[in-house]
Amino acid sequence: MSDLDRILRELWPEVRKRHLFPELPAPTCAEGEQRVGLDMKKKRISISREFVEEMSRQLKPAEVLEGLLDHALSHYLYCPWDFSTHLKLYGEAKRVLKDKEMARTATDYFMDVVADTYCISQKDTPLPKIYKNLNRSNLDKAVHALCQRIWGLDLGVAGFEEISRKLSRIPYMDRSRWKENIRRFSKAVRTLLETEKERDPNSSDRKGPIDSHEFHQYSVQEIEQGLKELAAETATPSEFKEIVEDFEKELSEATGPAGRGMGLGAGQSVDADILYYMKLAENYLLAIRKRPVQKSGALYPHRHVPWEVGRPFRDIDPWTSFGKIMPGITQSWERLEGDVFGREEGIPDCIAIIDSSGSMTDPKRHLSHAVLGAACACDAYLRNDARVAVYNFSDAYSGGQQILPYSRNRKDIYRTLCHYFGGGTQLLVENIQGLQTERVPDIFLITDMQITNLEALIQYFNESKNRITAVHIGDNKRVQTFRRSMAVRKNVSIYPVDKKEDILRIVLGKIWEYIYSGRS
Amino acid sequence: MNPFLDFRSVPCEQKEIPLDRIVRAKDKVMDHIVEGYLRLVEEEAKDLVWLVEHSRVVKAYNSAVETIRDIPFDQDDIEEFCAEMDASDKIPYMISGPAGIYVSALVNHAQEDHIVLKLKDYRRTFHFFGYRLPEGKTLILEGNSGDFIGAGLAGGRLVVKGSTGNWCGAGMTRGEILVIGYTGQNTGEWMRGGEIHVDGRIRGLGKRFFGGRIYQQGRLVAPDEPSRSI
Repeated sequence: MSDLDRILRELWPEVRKRHLFPELPAPTCAEGEQRVGLDMKKKRISISREFVEEMSRQLKPAEVLEGLLDHALSHYLYCPWDFSTHLKLYGEAKRVLKDKEMARTATDYFMDVVADTYCISQKDTPLPKIYKNLNRSNLDKAVHALCQRIWGLDLGVAGFEEISRKLSRIPYMDRSRWKENIRRFSKAVRTLLETEKERDPNSSDRKGPIDSHEFHQYSVQEIEQGLKELAAETATPSEFKEIVEDFEKELSEATGPAGRGMGLGAGQSVDADILYYMKLAENYLLAIRKRPVQKSGALYPHRHVPWEVGRPFRDIDPWTSFGKIMPGITQSWERLEGDVFGREEGIPDCIAIIDSSGSMTDPKRHLSHAVLGAACACDAYLRNDARVAVYNFSDAYSGGQQILPYSRNRKDIYRTLCHYFGGGTQLLVENIQGLQTERVPDIFLITDMQITNLEALIQYFNESKNRITAVHIGDNKRVQTFRRSMAVRKNVSIYPVDKKEDILRIVLGKIWEYIYSGRS
Repeated sequence: MNPFLDFRSVPCEQKEIPLDRIVRAKDKVMDHIVEGYLRLVEEEAKDLVWLVEHSRVVKAYNSAVETIRDIPFDQDDIEEFCAEMDASDKIPYMISGPAGIYVSALVNHAQEDHIVLKLKDYRRTFHFFGYRLPEGKTLILEGNSGDFIGAGLAGGRLVVKGSTGNWCGAGMTRGEILVIGYTGQNTGEWMRGGEIHVDGRIRGLGKRFFGGRIYQQGRLVAPDEPSRSI
């Protein structure tokens, strides 16, 4: 064991204690870039041996290691804290700077200032000594001049008075204002970033002086959660796409082949449109009324497997887990599909029928409430372990249709929902008939009812025994015809939408009404 | 054994760093500025519609000056106030006329003589910037600005690195306006003195012109231009 490893092993408990015992594995020393002090992969801090050796000419190795650990832990415990915050900060910086690399650099520096200011204000740390001895670019000097000013310590930077004065007015410690803060930060450093970019156009792989802020520091679950929150906060699919596509490579690397259900994975590109609706739909949980089924398609506990972080808690078997939630000790049920004997209640499969004709919103350009509504409904069925088949139509007679057989593959389902044909509106009832099974699936229809052969659909629904949820956008004569024709059908629920924007709320509300009205 | 014993030796008090003082002081000044603006808007919004009338503009400016009299602000505060008006929810409503007049009052009474406002960072268009800019003050506006830019200029130097809307330099008495882009209709209306230099196109000169000079690309266009349309 080298001296550095020994020092690191002795220091780690002390530093961990200072930061109130964060749950992180012991850090390691590794060969790395001379310029970058540390890296974090899957929560493990990895310190660059070369960097420490280089800095050890001016400082004691223990001070360098301690400072780097403080820095890493402050990132982990304060800023960015999680992937979602990191992505949001980047999104704000990108909005101001309109350039991927400049936005990434600004975000990295902002997070460094916030995390290290937090550390300096809370702990006794040798971090300023590292700052004082770093090799600096012009941008580093400006940011270090800021740190010098707001920490009240000499970091050996001269000049950069104006920019450091401007930057020092930002309340870095106010977490609730980070979005606004990074916008101001980005505006203030824009000229420096542009100069740096002009000076060195190949600075796309430029990393901060201490660490690199790569996405592989986050777990797959954190990334999934972050994308979900981002989808909820962005107004349009294109806005979401703009941010996500900037990180296509990194997200694929970070999630790896095990990127389950995210539309990510090695060798595949991120289809940001699908990912947007997939993640946005996860924010809305629709309830579905159960009904007696012979074979529900539901998954039943089959055998025990060790529980891992990220697997759903609901599958945990407390009786064999010694009352503990701990990877390796806790046991989780693996479920398999099984037959149901008798009249047990369950959720049937669903046929989602979506209109993607020219009168509907193109989901790739704008937020399509039809696609979102259908996505929420599909998500609800999938969450209940049911399967979903999708029939996406415009002018079916001219080939404008897409059919997805029953599946639990979210990506395939959402891809079919998001497909936009434009053009006329005719559907082939035979195709819906082809998706019928013995289990009598539910039917979820979402359309503006401007269907040329609406009569055929009405006739089909009048004869079917499925539970049908029909959601229409807008109001017109054909809607009235459909309503009148379905008035006596107890298995058909129609949900009117006055404004497109209301669709989500009304679908949610009506589904609840639907559940409870059945019980009264 | 108490599992929390280990925490006893961990210091948990937060140290005060200069950032805390800087932010506190800045917040105090900003609160005063915002409060002053809201008072002005409340006064001006009584009639529901804010019309640009000379007496009204003068009254609003005088109220603004009165409001900011005792606030120790600087250029950074002005910039931040503009950013707050542009994007933040801290200021519930913005009426562009009084807002511009208020910012002009701030600029005219700021500690610095040379002030730069980066308008291209803002989504909103501000009017009345440079109103009554006094002698000895230079205001540089980076980006396009709205109407009545440099109105009533009183000896100061206003540089617009972009274009202006209508009524640029209206009623100015002294000083200089330099516009790198173009100006809108009624440029120099009621002008009594000073100079306006426009590098781009002048969409239309003011009909009532009492003094001063207007140059377009270095060529004198008023008062000697007979046709008034450029």
